[in-house]
Amino acid sequence: MQEIRAELSGSVWKVLVSVGDSVERDQEIMILESMKMEIPVVAPAAGTIGSIEVAEGVAVETGDLLAKVAVP
Amino acid sequence: MSFTWKAALERLAEAREIAASLGGAARVDRQHGQGRLTIRERVAAITDDFTEVGEFAGFTVRDANGNDVGRLPSSYVCGLATVDGRQVALGGEDFTVRAGAPQTYLDRYKGGMGGFVEDLAHEYKIPLILFMEGIGGDVSAQDEVGHSYLVSSMSWKRSIELLNEVPVLVAVLGSAAGGTAGRAVLSHFSVISEGSVLFAGGPPVVRRALGQDVDKHELGGAVMHTSVSGAIDNLAADEPSAIAQIRAVLGYLPQNVWELPPRGERTDPVDRACDEILSIVPENRRRPYRIRDVVRVILDKDSFFEMGPGWGNAVITAFGRIDGIPVGIIANNPMHIAGALDASAAEKQIRFTDLCNTFHLPIVHFVDVPGFMVGPQAERGGVVRWGMRAIQALVEAEVPIVTIHVRKAYGMAVSATSNPDALGLRIAWPSAEWGDMPIEGGVEAGFRREIEAAENPEQFRREVEERLLAASDPWKTVEAFGVEMMIDPRETRRVVARFLNASLHAMRARLGPRARPWSMRP
Repeated sequence: MQEIRAELSGSVWKVLVSVGDSVERDQEIMILESMKMEIPVVAPAAGTIGSIEVAEGVAVETGDLLAKVAVP
Repeated sequence: MSFTWKAALERLAEAREIAASLGGAARVDRQHGQGRLTIRERVAAITDDFTEVGEFAGFTVRDANGNDVGRLPSSYVCGLATVDGRQVALGGEDFTVRAGAPQTYLDRYKGGMGGFVEDLAHEYKIPLILFMEGIGGDVSAQDEVGHSYLVSSMSWKRSIELLNEVPVLVAVLGSAAGGTAGRAVLSHFSVISEGSVLFAGGPPVVRRALGQDVDKHELGGAVMHTSVSGAIDNLAADEPSAIAQIRAVLGYLPQNVWELPPRGERTDPVDRACDEILSIVPENRRRPYRIRDVVRVILDKDSFFEMGPGWGNAVITAFGRIDGIPVGIIANNPMHIAGALDASAAEKQIRFTDLCNTFHLPIVHFVDVPGFMVGPQAERGGVVRWGMRAIQALVEAEVPIVTIHVRKAYGMAVSATSNPDALGLRIAWPSAEWGDMPIEGGVEAGFRREIEAAENPEQFRREVEERLLAASDPWKTVEAFGVEMMIDPRETRRVVARFLNASLHAMRARLGPRARPWSMRP
């Protein structure tokens, strides 16, 4: 499982995938809101979403775990 | 014994064989076994024209009883080389001889701190290319000299003054510790191959000093230095790739500070269509985009080489060419912390600004910056000091700066994108916006008391916001000549090329070394 962590502090604006979805590398899986911007969070590699660790609206800090991707 | 040409030339040939055999077959095998080239193979990989100096310098190897058991060549190879048609001074440690330790057994160093190869670069005013692999000083040197010495007896002056004279390009290939690590950092561009390490002190030193067991790659690995510390600029997958990067950077730099960078071919038309820009920069102003893609469209085809792509990610710094003219690109990166300038991005920007200023590369600055980064983490990192240093570096730069306003330009960070005491040429795209502070948030901060005192605070806040938003239309600034030009983004390449061509006259008038007008950074 590859971990996806927040690269900056902000809040989770939208979650675009569900557990079990297959994703391509660089596909947007979440959008954070920070510094008045929508910051996309992308899959680091092609795989399957193993877990989603945050809900829409919650605040996240730099380095917080957002999701895990199972990479074949 | 009388002199004969035959005997004399035979001795020369024997000496050449000893030099070519480096530290012996076993040690050469070991080097290869670890996936690394020998210093002679590295030299051959970057040039087919190498005139070696000090080829026969070496030392007598003695066993523990002091008996002479043969000779080894010195642990450094250097000489004059041609790389892509350019004369350069080239040198590197031989790791198969005493792990590349300094040549304390010679009358004169060949390389390292000072040494012949650095004198060659300094006296001939030609670039210095170094392959670095060595553990720095070792105790056997002390054993030979017969007493311990203060490291401060040796001078770094030559290595430091070269930074103001000729390009110093360094590849770290293997282990670089102590003095070798220090020498690697005193460069304009450094690259490290994957699997290589660089540190002030390796794992055994850390264990003794701190009681910590740490893996050498975690401690000072190639990936760490190019993504966290920034002590080395670029990562290379392997040695050939590291050498290719050195050649690429050399292509953008002059032989020395008394010359202009070499102009490339002018085969890519300056007025070609750049329509892609409109689809790369999103209409939704809250969505980030890939600024590297924008930059690539505007530069001459295949002329984008990024320096420090793995750290200080809120800013990208890159070499490129426009109409063949080598330029330095600085661009805020909205994909990382929304492009806000933090301490590490400022540090990277300062290094690159100084480099452009030293070698007369005009700067093209793409602006999309919401301000200095805010928050406890940024403040603890000293964002204000580093940000102001970035502004100082730009004020000191005596090269033309063309600033392209792509989108946001808010707060003090905007002063790190242009110099109002020089030409201060700022070109806006219609997508640009600017001000002291973004209106949202700015209203909260500026009118807090009034908002709280209002009968309907939310309505009052909205009214103030709307009034300020109407006044912040960038066209009003354009009409007040508060920004020099507004252009269609698709014209950018042609317009920037026009100004760069004209600026070459100023560049020629300002050749030579830079004396920093102020003696310190704040």
